[in-house]
Amino acid sequence: MLVLKNVSKTYDKTKKAVDDISLEVKKGEIIGFIGPNGAGKTTTIKMITGIIAPTEGVIEINGVDISKAPVDAKKNFAYVPDHPTIFDAIKGIDYLNFMADMYDVSIEDRKERVEKFTKAFQIYHALSQTINSYSHGMRQKLLISGALLSNPKLFILDEPMVGLDPHSARVLKDLMREHCEKGGTVFFSSHGLEVVENLCDRVAMIHKGKLIACDVVENIKQSNDKTLEEVFLEMTKDA
Amino acid sequence: MRKFIALTKIQVKDFFSKYTQHANVKNKWLGMLTLAIPALLILPAFQLVNRIYDTFFLIGFPELTMTYMYLGTVMMMFFACIPFIISIFFYSRDLKFFATLPVKVDVIIFSKLASVYIYLFVIGCFFFGTSIVVYSTTDGLTVYRLIAGLIALLMAPLLPMILATLIIIPFMSVIGKGNKRNLMVIVGNVLLLVLIMSIQILMARVEMDPESLNRILLQEDGLLRLLGRNFPPSIWLTKMIQGSIIDGGLFILLNAVFLYILKLVSQLLYSKGLLAFNQEGGGMTGKGKIYYKTRSKGLQMMKRHIGIIFSNPIFLLNTVLVMFLPIILFIIMSFTGELSPEVFQSPAIAPYMLYIYAGVITAPAIVGNLSATAITREGKTFWETKVLPITTGENIRYRIYATLMISFTASILLAIAGGMYLPVTFDIIIRAAIFCIAATLFLSTIDIVINIERPTLNWTSPTAAVKNNLNVILSLLIRVALGGIVYFSYRLMPDFAANTMVAIYSIALLLLYGISNYIVFGIYKRKFDQINL
Repeated sequence: MLVLKNVSKTYDKTKKAVDDISLEVKKGEIIGFIGPNGAGKTTTIKMITGIIAPTEGVIEINGVDISKAPVDAKKNFAYVPDHPTIFDAIKGIDYLNFMADMYDVSIEDRKERVEKFTKAFQIYHALSQTINSYSHGMRQKLLISGALLSNPKLFILDEPMVGLDPHSARVLKDLMREHCEKGGTVFFSSHGLEVVENLCDRVAMIHKGKLIACDVVENIKQSNDKTLEEVFLEMTKDA
Repeated sequence: MRKFIALTKIQVKDFFSKYTQHANVKNKWLGMLTLAIPALLILPAFQLVNRIYDTFFLIGFPELTMTYMYLGTVMMMFFACIPFIISIFFYSRDLKFFATLPVKVDVIIFSKLASVYIYLFVIGCFFFGTSIVVYSTTDGLTVYRLIAGLIALLMAPLLPMILATLIIIPFMSVIGKGNKRNLMVIVGNVLLLVLIMSIQILMARVEMDPESLNRILLQEDGLLRLLGRNFPPSIWLTKMIQGSIIDGGLFILLNAVFLYILKLVSQLLYSKGLLAFNQEGGGMTGKGKIYYKTRSKGLQMMKRHIGIIFSNPIFLLNTVLVMFLPIILFIIMSFTGELSPEVFQSPAIAPYMLYIYAGVITAPAIVGNLSATAITREGKTFWETKVLPITTGENIRYRIYATLMISFTASILLAIAGGMYLPVTFDIIIRAAIFCIAATLFLSTIDIVINIERPTLNWTSPTAAVKNNLNVILSLLIRVALGGIVYFSYRLMPDFAANTMVAIYSIALLLLYGISNYIVFGIYKRKFDQINL
């Protein structure tokens, strides 16, 4: 579903934020993308979503090269950024209708999905309010609902749990699992190692722009007596 | 004082870095050169001042050039700083941060005004500064004049800036209440500006009784007193530069008093104005209907881009003032009797009516330059359209369409108002409309090139997005260059009638539109994709 081949990103010709990453995410998989602050997680996600272009390498989404056919590639995924910074002078329902129109979601589907997601996230009652009256968490939930409206083949989330209350975090985890069970794929970055350990089929670990591990959790943990947190701290420890 | 300097420094640095950001100039000297681009606008200012100087010189009072230019500059500064003050005090993202710092409120207020001061000082240099240079160099340059001129120039922004601050902060706290506060801010400020302009024009028209007029004119400096009677600092300033220490003292004292007044009331302005405004909820929390409706992608995108302007009072105020300034001035001048329909009925004006009408209805595209900040206005929400399944061409095109919609709406309103007031025929309307369409298409398209080159998405105050922005200056330079070409071609072909000339200009603009289309969608599409967030 998602393939990264030797992807690098260099800023100002000298600062290498992402260094020769290759990765494959299969259909129906949930993959957690972890790494310390400034490791290159957000840069990688921005390249996958077409927000920024890679300096080198190829990114394919559902077999479509995003640099060659961006529109076709973008039809296959939906994205939730790490900060819920959205145009906030409109109502929540305006935003959802906007997203639905962009992904050609029919009236019937959008009605059903808007109700399903926003009721699950407990923001249905606030849809007729302008987004600038929403709290950080409510905006995040609106963004997630908007991203899920198109029932994307690939669901990409950058730090999705930040700002969510325990109930909503649980709802999101359930939705991610449900999405995969229905054949969708989820790729998300997180600092919550416990969430990653419990939810993901595989974990990709990035440090200083390089992919240092990509495997099922058990293999990364090396032995059963170590937690993912301990392994993470060990692997990302600077010499 | 250390805290004041630190706070001021950070804001001034922010002001300049936003201005030069994304100019792709790594070289320090090239960066300095970028800052000097607006200096090109000084050329028309010099020409204007020289003409005014010649007029006053002929009647034996060349020093009135400074009085006249100071009065005009003060008015210009006053109007220019109102949206700026609203932006930095009420819609700036850093105020919440400054509020938590252990500094006195007057330090916050004065440090915030530092960037307004720089902005006004630049305006002052263009118009008032050139008058001091022209007067001093022609009339004899001395060390005293140099120092006095510099003091006058440095102090020129203080009075309009402090006066505007003292009016705007309490005014905003009164009108900025309730759910519809953004609307109130727009309507309130436009009405305030109309009121101030009306008062100014009416005051200028107040007839003096002949006896008083004679008394004033019989004095040695009668003409100066007559010119500056509504604003005495202009008299003191002129005399200061001429050598009067007493008048210089009065001028400096007045500025010092105003600074002290601002310091005295700063606590009140802060608590009753700024904090009160920022405590008001900005969102709409009323009950509404949840609807499900499909719209085309293009319409949704245009709605979004227009919505960005309409949702931000600074963007909207800036758009409304720039685009509808001809209408506002027109209404006020008609209302006060400054402009009468008879002037335009004159046979001497008739051959130029097509030029006048075409100029009036094209004004929104000429002064509007909305495309030059179409990406910048989105700020940090720019990522939204980047991940949507639309082509880069569509992403750029709908921004241009949004500009066209606003520009054409303003042009239609001006065309109706102008058509009712000016003696225009159907033929003139059609010819002017074709010219307006061609000019609007070209300018709206070419401006987006500037914004793709310099997207500047990270801004703290909305003014930085639409005003304190090199993009606006660059787009104005395009217009100045275009105006120059039009002027010289007109001089080269003096025998051609207005119909022919406007037809030639329209065809040329349509050709330029074709070229700009090729530049934007052929070359700049790739650059748009490379905009880094």
